[in-house]
Amino acid sequence: MTPFSRTSPSRRLLLGGLVGLSAVTLVGCAAPGSGSGSAAVEQDEITSTVTAEQIADLGDVTLTLWADQAEEPLMGLLVPAYEEAYPNVTVDVTYKSFDDLIATVVNAANSADAPDLFQGNIGYAVDGALVKAGLVRPLDDVASVYGWEDGTGASTLAPSRWTEDGSTFGDGTLYGMSPISEVQGIYYNEAKLAELGLEAPESIEDLEAALPVAAEAGETPIMLGNSDQYAATHIFSDIAATTQDPEDIRAWIGGDPDETFATDGNIEAAETMAEWASNGYFGEGYDGLGNQDAIARFAEGDGVFFVGGSWNGAYLDADDFGFGALASGGVGATASPWHISSSSDEAIASIAFLDMLHSPETAQWILDEGRLPVVTDGVTASGDLQQQTLDALTATIEAGTQVGYYDWTTTDMLSVMGGGLQEVMAGRTSAEEFVDAVQTAWSKEHGAS
Amino acid sequence: MAVTTATRAVVAGPRGRRRRSPATAYSWSSLLYVAPALLFFGVFVIYPICISVQTSFYAYDGLTVATPVGAANYVAVFTDPSLREALLHSLVLLVFYAALPVAIGLVLAGALSRIRIYGLTFFRAALFIPQVLSSVVVAVAWRGLLATDGPVNDALRAVGLGSIATSWLGNFDTALPAVGAIGTWVQYGLCMVLFLGGIVGIDRSLYEAARLDGAGAVREFRAITLPALRPQISIALILCITFALRNFDIIWNTTRGGPGTSTAVPSVYIYQDAFQNRALGQASALAVVLTLLILVIVGLVQLALRERSDVGARSRRHSGGAR
Repeated sequence: MTPFSRTSPSRRLLLGGLVGLSAVTLVGCAAPGSGSGSAAVEQDEITSTVTAEQIADLGDVTLTLWADQAEEPLMGLLVPAYEEAYPNVTVDVTYKSFDDLIATVVNAANSADAPDLFQGNIGYAVDGALVKAGLVRPLDDVASVYGWEDGTGASTLAPSRWTEDGSTFGDGTLYGMSPISEVQGIYYNEAKLAELGLEAPESIEDLEAALPVAAEAGETPIMLGNSDQYAATHIFSDIAATTQDPEDIRAWIGGDPDETFATDGNIEAAETMAEWASNGYFGEGYDGLGNQDAIARFAEGDGVFFVGGSWNGAYLDADDFGFGALASGGVGATASPWHISSSSDEAIASIAFLDMLHSPETAQWILDEGRLPVVTDGVTASGDLQQQTLDALTATIEAGTQVGYYDWTTTDMLSVMGGGLQEVMAGRTSAEEFVDAVQTAWSKEHGAS
Repeated sequence: MAVTTATRAVVAGPRGRRRRSPATAYSWSSLLYVAPALLFFGVFVIYPICISVQTSFYAYDGLTVATPVGAANYVAVFTDPSLREALLHSLVLLVFYAALPVAIGLVLAGALSRIRIYGLTFFRAALFIPQVLSSVVVAVAWRGLLATDGPVNDALRAVGLGSIATSWLGNFDTALPAVGAIGTWVQYGLCMVLFLGGIVGIDRSLYEAARLDGAGAVREFRAITLPALRPQISIALILCITFALRNFDIIWNTTRGGPGTSTAVPSVYIYQDAFQNRALGQASALAVVLTLLILVIVGLVQLALRERSDVGARSRRHSGGAR
């Protein structure tokens, strides 16, 4: 007696017919994506800074924002300041977790009541889709009027520049701005370094010399949690930036069809990863440990080094840990940029908000929250760890080696490269096979050999 | 044998008539009663399925107008070697997510129904807990249990098996069975409760008769309990197989399909295509194929487990004709 046998054959036929009929009717309908969605409104270019009078002329308006949950402390300072400066504007912020934000923001921007101002994410999955579908307002006029193109933060705008068709980024029209930057490098446990008689590493060579010393002393040399598949790609990118010109990596990530991942530098970097793994420099079972668990263990004194980014610093006690850049200038990137919706009627109010985000005052707030601003002129760090991180960032920005993250380059790069690197480190594939597999996946999107 | 057939015929007689009557008294007004549920079902189940089927014939990024691509998405599903590998992983998981839970559930149900245990309700509830917990909670807990320095390895070392201790979820060779074991743990409670419910319905006199004939516990289980539980086993298998083939959250929250692709299953690729790669057409095609696969496997299981009652039905017709 199964529940299904209760339906008589004739009724089953009727039901099946209904389902089939509705399917056929639907398939006969228009292609998905036609109709509905947001309508872009005429956006006037600005030629001078937005004045308080212009915004007052808007009358009582509400500015709707979608932001990453991590921005909540910053917004808590910025929104009241903005509302005080422009009393007729009410700012309404919706916070989403990062994963949630990048999964939904494109559809939200495409909806009839799109938020006026929202955060995207650099790369093809989110920003590329936004640009391609014409959902975000170009910001070149804003950048030139407000002087974003001068000063220390100028080069950080590059990842938000796109070609008109949304096919490559790094150059072209500006579509977003992020006030927050990130730098990659190495954290070290100061007490353990002293115990082992080691200096803080300043290059990959220094690190390579320190690793066997730590291993022989019975320590886990590098604490790594790679079950999310991305932590090892950060270590790889730190090494790869020293085995080739960082400029080439940036162009490859940007989708330049003349570039390739199958370079000697990348093979060398992958081989180094495999060697370190087989020497036990990442400890045992790193593929079964989450990145968040790894940083927690490192904070508790497990492991001598942790290769990661400035976003990990918040978990570490500033008195016990130090930070340094591994590559010359270090590898880094810009955090999720802010975009103005192309369907926003209150674009000038949004522009005034972006101006406040990019100000030195906000930069100091960002640093006080334990993150790194793109505007580094005139900000003061509190404590050694923050100063070291800020130094690494300034050096990166000045050296122009902010290459960005590999997963920006295609929507599936995180799993292709992350999974591939796990195989290389386990000795299941060669470094050559790894770079070829990555290049093959990249070519599907960017059309090169 | 003849007696049992006759008994079946007697039982089946009126039931067969009762079953036929609603069909003859079928009227459109009865549709009104199911209309709300049908509407709900239509809007939230049938309509999305139809949209998925439609989308699977397009290249669609969720934003710009989709372009029809014919069956290209389906061709990709059947030619992509990584998807073939993922399907293979699913078949391995069937053992852990369906076969093992049913077997363990049967043993536990048999034991719990035979032995008088104080606080039976407590044990029954405790063993059912894995089924109640959110799968994310389950995944996070097991990640800790199976870690290099987790309790599982500690236990192994304590009994002198330290040499096989490993990072169960991080090792290419053990990740798939480890993820499978989590599924077994989640599903066996459900099977057990289903079987216990079925055992309650078995006439106790059958057991007495068997005992008088000198049957032991194992014989009793095989001759009476197992055949009587056929419908419950069928339902348990359907639920477990569906769970196994569409399983996503446990794998995503423990290994993300890794290390490498050693635990990747079709639903991981569906998620990646739909929500990361914005390839909704490709994701829909894979989802449609997966749905059909689940229907086919579940159908086969149903067919296999219905065989005996079909024999009964045949002999029923036969005996009916003889009468």
